[in-house]
Amino acid sequence: MPSPDDRAALAGRDRGLLSDVEFVALSGISKSYGGTTALESVDLRIRRASIHAILGENGAGKSTLIKVLTGVVRPDAGTVTIEGAAFAVRSPATAAAAGIACVFQELSLVPDLSVADNIFLARGTGPLGFIDRRRQQKAAEALLRELGSEVRPTDIVRSLTLSEAQLVEIAKAMAKRPRLLILDEATSALGEQQVGRLFEILRRLRSEGVSILYITHRMHEVDTLCDTCSVFRNGRHVETFPQGERSPDAVVELMLGRSVSQIYPAKPAPAAGQPLLDVRDLSWDGRIDKVSFVVRPGEIYGIGGLDGHGQQETLLALFGVLRNVTGEVRFDGRSVHIGSPGRAKGRALGIALVPEDRKSEGLHLPLTIAHNLTLSVLNRLTRFGVINGGRQRRLVDDLMRRLQIKSSSPKAPVSSLSGGNQQKVVLAKWLACDPRLILLCDPTRGIDVGTKAEIYALLRRLADEGAAIVLHTTDYDELIGLCDRVGIFYGGTILRELTGDALNERNILRASFALATDGPTDSGGH
Amino acid sequence: MTAILRSPTTIVGVMIVAILAIGASASPNFLNASYLLQQLQISSFLGVVALGALGVIVLGQIDLSVPWTMTSSAIAATSVVGVGAAAQDVWSTELAMPIGLAVGAFIGLVNGIGVALLRVPAMIWTLGINAVVLGLCIFITGGFAPPGEASPLMRSLAVGRTLGLPNALYVWIGISLVAAFLLTRTYIGRAIVAIGNGERAAYLSGVATQGVVILVFVFAGLCSALGGLLLAGYANQAYQTMGDPYLLPVIAAIVIGGTSIQGGSGSVTGMLLGVVFVTLLTSVLSVLQMPDPHRQIIYGAVILITLLLYGRFTRPVN
Repeated sequence: MPSPDDRAALAGRDRGLLSDVEFVALSGISKSYGGTTALESVDLRIRRASIHAILGENGAGKSTLIKVLTGVVRPDAGTVTIEGAAFAVRSPATAAAAGIACVFQELSLVPDLSVADNIFLARGTGPLGFIDRRRQQKAAEALLRELGSEVRPTDIVRSLTLSEAQLVEIAKAMAKRPRLLILDEATSALGEQQVGRLFEILRRLRSEGVSILYITHRMHEVDTLCDTCSVFRNGRHVETFPQGERSPDAVVELMLGRSVSQIYPAKPAPAAGQPLLDVRDLSWDGRIDKVSFVVRPGEIYGIGGLDGHGQQETLLALFGVLRNVTGEVRFDGRSVHIGSPGRAKGRALGIALVPEDRKSEGLHLPLTIAHNLTLSVLNRLTRFGVINGGRQRRLVDDLMRRLQIKSSSPKAPVSSLSGGNQQKVVLAKWLACDPRLILLCDPTRGIDVGTKAEIYALLRRLADEGAAIVLHTTDYDELIGLCDRVGIFYGGTILRELTGDALNERNILRASFALATDGPTDSGGH
Repeated sequence: MTAILRSPTTIVGVMIVAILAIGASASPNFLNASYLLQQLQISSFLGVVALGALGVIVLGQIDLSVPWTMTSSAIAATSVVGVGAAAQDVWSTELAMPIGLAVGAFIGLVNGIGVALLRVPAMIWTLGINAVVLGLCIFITGGFAPPGEASPLMRSLAVGRTLGLPNALYVWIGISLVAAFLLTRTYIGRAIVAIGNGERAAYLSGVATQGVVILVFVFAGLCSALGGLLLAGYANQAYQTMGDPYLLPVIAAIVIGGTSIQGGSGSVTGMLLGVVFVTLLTSVLSVLQMPDPHRQIIYGAVILITLLLYGRFTRPVN
């Protein structure tokens, strides 16, 4: 029985042999949509037994690269070779036949089918394409357990949380036993523990000779996982180098084509004064359990912990979305009842919520930028219900300038914008209300570094101007870099509050797993 | 340029001209001004009903209670006239229309509550309400045409003319202008479009989504009722099946006018043309003197083919 170290060494040696072998090579791939060039004569080699990071800002061409590899779009020029032979990736089916599977950032699950049916969608498990239900469920169960997921194969996908669904999506790709596995922001909704589990599996797949293309915006994931990095910028492949050869700052510079002095704005001295928000023993449906915290004007309060421990529910409760919430919420010293989002955003309170899923909760994708920007403040732009066109135009122009939303026209549909600009529209839509308390749920998910830095600077500026900010994020870099104080959730309650020097990676992780904290309130538990 | 050629409004316009040409070749009287005015008058009944249904469809919902909302409102109004005449009550003719409209608004309110508050899918709920109203009407009237007739106001709105044009046309155009203004220039219209595109995002933007949905269903009930009252004024009576032939044409006219059946976008102008097209299609088929089964087959097929072509050639209005 070899020790884990031996096995790693063995795997490393095998890898050394295999990783000289090229699995997929792109040469001269170009693709443009209308007048926009998405990829410009891209050459890229993906070796076997390699975890290959693709880095770049939004709009750098990463998504188009994936679409070419998975047969979703056909390139205008260039060739794809697989194991040295030219290969025409004509459709997703031919890509799948060649052993290419992809975990898409936008989940591709059918909401009303069971988890097992989704994992084995488009493939029978029995003879003649029939579905062998028992076999399918067993296989699905094994995959899910391996990923550390606790969902049952018979669960309906609609009932899952975002992170559970993301794991199912990953299981679906793995079930195809791919030779090239592409993960596009596949960990964006996962908690630390789940990510760790996934990384172990990816490393094992690599030792078995699988090529993995890993797309992420999180630098620390690249550090811990990948062995090769390729940077894309404006549709061009800028450079490929072994992981670790360049410092994170140098990589960011490559992606941006310019240097960023600092991603996170400087933190001010701790805010003093009366709290704007004072939450006492907030509870709901067994999923929020006596949550108490205060936020002062000028403060950015972070909410962290493993996914699904009541963080999102707490934000929804504070925005008046949930029914039968118990406990007390004091706003500006007064005890208030927040019955609905309409009341929450009203002048009396002035609360804004940037929700978790910008595409289905934050925006109306087919509608114009102007319509999206004004929906939350429309009642202030009307007289007797009739919209004042001039005031609307001025507001929209002002917001687009303030947040530097890049678009040809405010009449363009929001769906035409990049992810970063879409998120700016969600933020702008709420800034239009001049909120006093801003609740944000993972506002930088799937967004490029440049836009992230802009959003951080904006949040800090809003805090400096007197707003109170509550930020829930699954990225602990953000908790440490941006927040003044951080509450770590566990089992529906805030297990520990971290601030100052105590606000570091080690403490966040320990509190997230409820490990031997010296905090007084270990009241959580499942 | 291609965008204009491909817009639903242009296509319906072309189809209307084509139908007029077919009609003219079949009968020399088809392009006669008085005949066309009569077609517009009949279009108005359909058009008024379709305006209410448009709001519901833009919301992403559907109202299948149109037939019996029309019928029950008309029965209520003519019965009020009938009962009043028997009791020699002078006020009853004045009350006929308000009572008929109130019946429609009430049915709309029940629809709205079922869909917005009880969260039953509109397709089931409104179909159920349609059946309940049908049952109530037959129970109360005993299955016979109720005694009574249209009030003078109903008759005047339906068949009267002002400055040579049918009054019904004025009613239709008036409400259309109001509806178009509401949909494009007001808070409520913006909220309707937003809900149709994504109810959750609208709710999280602070829109009172339940209130808006109820309001739109009440407006739809009112429009169906007004359509029923005009039709009763035209026939000078209410009868049990009067609303039945209206459900498919209403939905067809809206979708042919470029409104997505899935909600989120809607065009009042397109729908006006859609209503005229559907009416002219019926009229041409009767001018061609075809037997009824043939007419039904062609009518249904033309509407389905139009919608099929739409999916391929047009972009939905926004």
